[in-house]
Amino acid sequence: MFANQIVTGVLIDDVALDMEELARACQVEPDWVVRHVQAGVLGEVTLQTAALRFRSTDLARARRLLELERHFDANEELAALVIDLADEVRRLRARLHALGIRDT
Amino acid sequence: MEYKDYYATLGIDRGATADDIKKAYRKMVRKYHPDVSKHKDADAKTKEINEAYDVLGDAEKRAAYDALGRGHHAGEQFHPPPDWSEHFDFGGAGADDFFADLFAQAGRSRRGGFQMRGDDIHAAITIDLADAYRGATRTVSLRVPKGEGPGRATMQEKTLSVNIPRGVTPGQQLRLAGQGHEGHGGAGPGDLYLEIQFAPDPRYRLEGAHVYENVPVTPWEAALGGSVAVPTPSGTVEVTIPAGSQSGRKLRLKGKGIPSATPGDLYLILDVVLPPANSDKARAIYQAMARDLAFNPRTA
Repeated sequence: MFANQIVTGVLIDDVALDMEELARACQVEPDWVVRHVQAGVLGEVTLQTAALRFRSTDLARARRLLELERHFDANEELAALVIDLADEVRRLRARLHALGIRDT
Repeated sequence: MEYKDYYATLGIDRGATADDIKKAYRKMVRKYHPDVSKHKDADAKTKEINEAYDVLGDAEKRAAYDALGRGHHAGEQFHPPPDWSEHFDFGGAGADDFFADLFAQAGRSRRGGFQMRGDDIHAAITIDLADAYRGATRTVSLRVPKGEGPGRATMQEKTLSVNIPRGVTPGQQLRLAGQGHEGHGGAGPGDLYLEIQFAPDPRYRLEGAHVYENVPVTPWEAALGGSVAVPTPSGTVEVTIPAGSQSGRKLRLKGKGIPSATPGDLYLILDVVLPPANSDKARAIYQAMARDLAFNPRTA
């Protein structure tokens, strides 16, 4: 077993990931990130790829996009639609839960 | 280690074609996906299904898995024979699973001769709401390959005490630089990404940085108004209940939610609780109200 270490991380939302870091975290080429940003399904749409910055929600979304595309042969628009719908279900369920209404 | 039967996980036999595997995976993942499944173990089941498909869905990984697995059954103790993996190379085997354990001693060790940064690791850490209000140190354990010299590596448990910053909200990710997989050929390690998850708390519900809490009040507190002491995640506060309140009324305490960069609000939802009519005196009071108030909520 490794010795127990006390470590301090940084919140991605405080520092934001650049394109290379997001690509590395997802084990994809930076082109994959650029293609998805330009398709409007990831991060902010911009032509200045060098200035792209990504936050926690972008990292989670990129990994889900990748999984859907790989496992279901989905194109980026379809994968994004599935994620948007799933997120909406989660948001509504969280809202119901927050208001104390049980989702049966 | 314990043998995992990936074919059984996907409900297919060992002669399944690549197309059969893909179809079985898609069917299973749709059935157990946490967003649609009511199955109580949906998350764990989905993880198992993904782990099985990551191996069986890749022709080379499947061949290696098949070469090992003949005659074994799920749950049996399993020890791979020496040099079994010499025809396979899986540098990317890094997940916290049975297959990664197998290849900790094999594929990763044959990457000599070039430099490559270690892979990033993705995991989750569960905290309590109080941790988000005050910050905390929480422990996370990971199984990671650890190099033991040229050509040798074993899976080991790595325990980290992680400082959780004040103000984190569900779904945010912490990056721990250099805590990912080891690099190769002298290159640096990857990073560890930890997604923040909150343990369920029967007292509070979360929506981003906003916190919701039910507050039981008596009928007279709701009807007449008054000041009540309410325990909140940041301590007990005195709250003024407006006269004429009903169950479900929301009182907003601005900025008293999770203290993130943009602080959330704390919403107190009033829950009027009737005293039981279980004594002569209580029944007499209810009878007097029925007689004197002439109140019918169905016609109000």
